[in-house]
Amino acid sequence: MKRYTLLAGFVLAALGAAWAAHAADAKIEALARSCNSCHGLNGVSVGASMPSIGGLSESYLYNVMLQWKHGERYSATMGRHFKGYSDEELAGLAKHFSALPWVPVVQSADARVLAHGKEATERCETCHGATGGQPDDKDTPMLNGQWAKYLELELMKYRTEGVDMPHKKMRKNAQKMGEDADVAAAAKYYAAQPK
Amino acid sequence: MNRFDRRAFIKAAIAAAPASAFLGLPQTAHAAAKARVVVVGGGFGGATAAKYIKLMDPSIDVTLVERNATYTSCPLSNEVISGHGHIEELQVGYDGLGKRGINVVIDEATSLDAAKKTVSLKSGKTLNYDALVLSPGIDFNYTAVEGYSEALANTTHPHAWKAGPQTLALKKKLEAMQDGETFIISVPPKPFRCPPGPYERAAQMANYLRDHGKKKSKVIILDANDSFSKKGLFEQAWKRQYPGMIEWVAGAEGGKVTRMDAKTNTAYTDFHEMKAGVLNVIPPHHAGNIARNAGLANAQGWCEVDMLTMESAVAKDIWVVGDATIHGDLPVYDAPKSAHAASTQAKAAAGAIVAKLNGLPAPEPFFVNTCYSITDEDWGFSVVHIYRVQGGKLVYIKEAGGISPINIPDEPQLKLQRKLEAEYAPGWLKNIMADAFA
Ligand SMILES: Cc1cc2nc3c(=O)[nH]c(=O)nc-3n(C[C@H](O)[C@H](O)[C@H](O)COP(=O)(O)OP(=O)(O)OC[C@H]3O[C@@H](n4cnc5c(N)ncnc54)[C@H](O)[C@@H]3O)c2cc1C
Ligand code: HEC
Ligand code: HEC
Repeated sequence: MKRYTLLAGFVLAALGAAWAAHAADAKIEALARSCNSCHGLNGVSVGASMPSIGGLSESYLYNVMLQWKHGERYSATMGRHFKGYSDEELAGLAKHFSALPWVPVVQSADARVLAHGKEATERCETCHGATGGQPDDKDTPMLNGQWAKYLELELMKYRTEGVDMPHKKMRKNAQKMGEDADVAAAAKYYAAQPK
Repeated sequence: MNRFDRRAFIKAAIAAAPASAFLGLPQTAHAAAKARVVVVGGGFGGATAAKYIKLMDPSIDVTLVERNATYTSCPLSNEVISGHGHIEELQVGYDGLGKRGINVVIDEATSLDAAKKTVSLKSGKTLNYDALVLSPGIDFNYTAVEGYSEALANTTHPHAWKAGPQTLALKKKLEAMQDGETFIISVPPKPFRCPPGPYERAAQMANYLRDHGKKKSKVIILDANDSFSKKGLFEQAWKRQYPGMIEWVAGAEGGKVTRMDAKTNTAYTDFHEMKAGVLNVIPPHHAGNIARNAGLANAQGWCEVDMLTMESAVAKDIWVVGDATIHGDLPVYDAPKSAHAASTQAKAAAGAIVAKLNGLPAPEPFFVNTCYSITDEDWGFSVVHIYRVQGGKLVYIKEAGGISPINIPDEPQLKLQRKLEAEYAPGWLKNIMADAFA
């Protein structure tokens, strides 16, 4: 009898934990559904100025959202959203979107622009890899098959004096790029990479 | 798990959460037989609701009834009038939803019977439902402006407050304006669809006039109201981009248009009489007629709902989303009549409906809204609203949301902020349209 009770207790406890986890997941999924309006189903954007976020690393996602929540990172729109979320929710969202596959949206560009872009991104290789798809650490986002328009706008943020983009090295690198034409070419180069 | 355990399991999952928890559940967990959901209106609200109900519980039989085979987005339609976009970019059909297993019926719902749970269609068909979603958008009260009529709207005096043929008709009228003539926009009393819309339209009209050698022309906004959405942001933009070209007349200064003369193109308010080159009267509106005729609207013409589920406050098993609804007692801001609000409400309704059809309590909803406005090339801004459930009520989260910063002393930083949001607006539209229709 005692053995049964114990077993039942154990099963119940396990089930309880599973329920709780499931419930939490479902709440995060509800929040995540609201992101689809701007970032696309499963975090794969179909709009050129909006980033895909599905498949970015958990650490990068969490970091960025927390920085926005605490006003430590510039954004034009996004930061105003995250002031309304708890840290646990942000952690849950980071986990949710990082568990999805990174789906590159491969955009074509003409050969001259791609060659220009390859040259303009040589200095970037150490951290982003040759195609933007081999980040050297978990706090570096995927760039391959990200939307070119978005990448270009993001680089404008890093390049504009006084804009609060906290990553110093990335800021320096963006500012060392030459003209705006280099920036556009670099963005198109990464956007064209399937891997 | 035996049957009892499985039920308890779903219950636990959904208690805190919406029904994506249903995804992948065994068949026995689904509503007995095939539950039938009918959605009337395939705009941002209805299309999103139909799609998400199907995503959350594929066993539910979902039928979408829509009058037009092609939907035209109102968002970014002001930019079509000014020549910065093409209407085809705003149009979408219903094949995407068809491929998801939703029965799309191109027809008009003519009446509904809440007691019998049926919807009658113009073609003569009758649909039965277990749950009905209404997202009919708005219809207009032309009699509020003496001298205006639906016939005029469809011919010489388009309001273009439903995008489509009238959008193109208004574009033609703008293009035909002579330098020095006035474009008058008349704004109805709140609440109306797209709170920043008329003021964005003013900027877009001025944009066309400025860039087409008609700088002596003016845009005059005759407003029934005394303030408006993102006012500081609009006034800053107007001043920088169209100095002296845009004039706003508040309700208190006699802005409310009560009468118009189509022949002489004149607008009349209590204080003013104004002749226009183009007279663009946006008539007051109310919930779509199908909802109003069914008795679902209040005296002001809007459908009151339980904000936690979007279920009608007056009829069982009917959920109303989008512009047709009113959320009376939300503090700080009432939720705007926007595509983004319609979409987020549709997702909340979908969660509640799937739960109910499976015999479970409604999950906790989450509402977000973002409205972008574009006044000139590289000049956009937004307002964000976040609503959460606190103490059993939906409340506006003051710490979050709000408008884009108005004063940014550093000019390059100001320009960056405005450029980014001008670029984000079309990206948002692509995604929210795909979210509803693809
Ligand atoms: C100029 C302008 C600019 C705007 N800009 C923005 C913006 O930038 N961002 C934003 O978020 N919102 C914007 N909006 C607001 C947005 O368009 C609406 O809030 C949104 O369309 C509401 O969605 P809905 O589903 O309630 O109604 P709708 O999108 O109007 O859909 C209603 C649908 O129901 C159908 N229907 C109605 N009755 C019946 C019936 N009896 N039988 C069958 N079908 C029926 C109609 O044909 C229609 O397709 C703008 C609006 C305007 C006018
Ligand atoms: C109204 C549209 C909108 C909604 C809704 C929205 N976002 Fe965003 N998101 C943006 C924009 C715009 C940016 C670019 C940053 C900025 O605002 O300047 C962005 C950027 C991001 C980024 C950074 C991506 C990168 O590569 O650095 C993340 C992460 C993100 N959003 C997560 C989310 C999550 C999670 C949600 C849902 C809870 C969400 N967003 C909802 C518009 C939106
Ligand atoms: C020292 C390592 C490093 C180098 C070198 C580097 N980056 Fe980055 N990059 C990063 C990191 C880390 C981030 C994320 C930074 C943050 O959180 O703000 C980033 C972010 C970006 C982003 C924003 C992506 C997004 O999703 O928002 C772009 C675009 C980018 N880098 C392009 C470049 C280009 C182009 C170069 C070369 C000119 C470059 N980077 C060089 C580390 C680097």
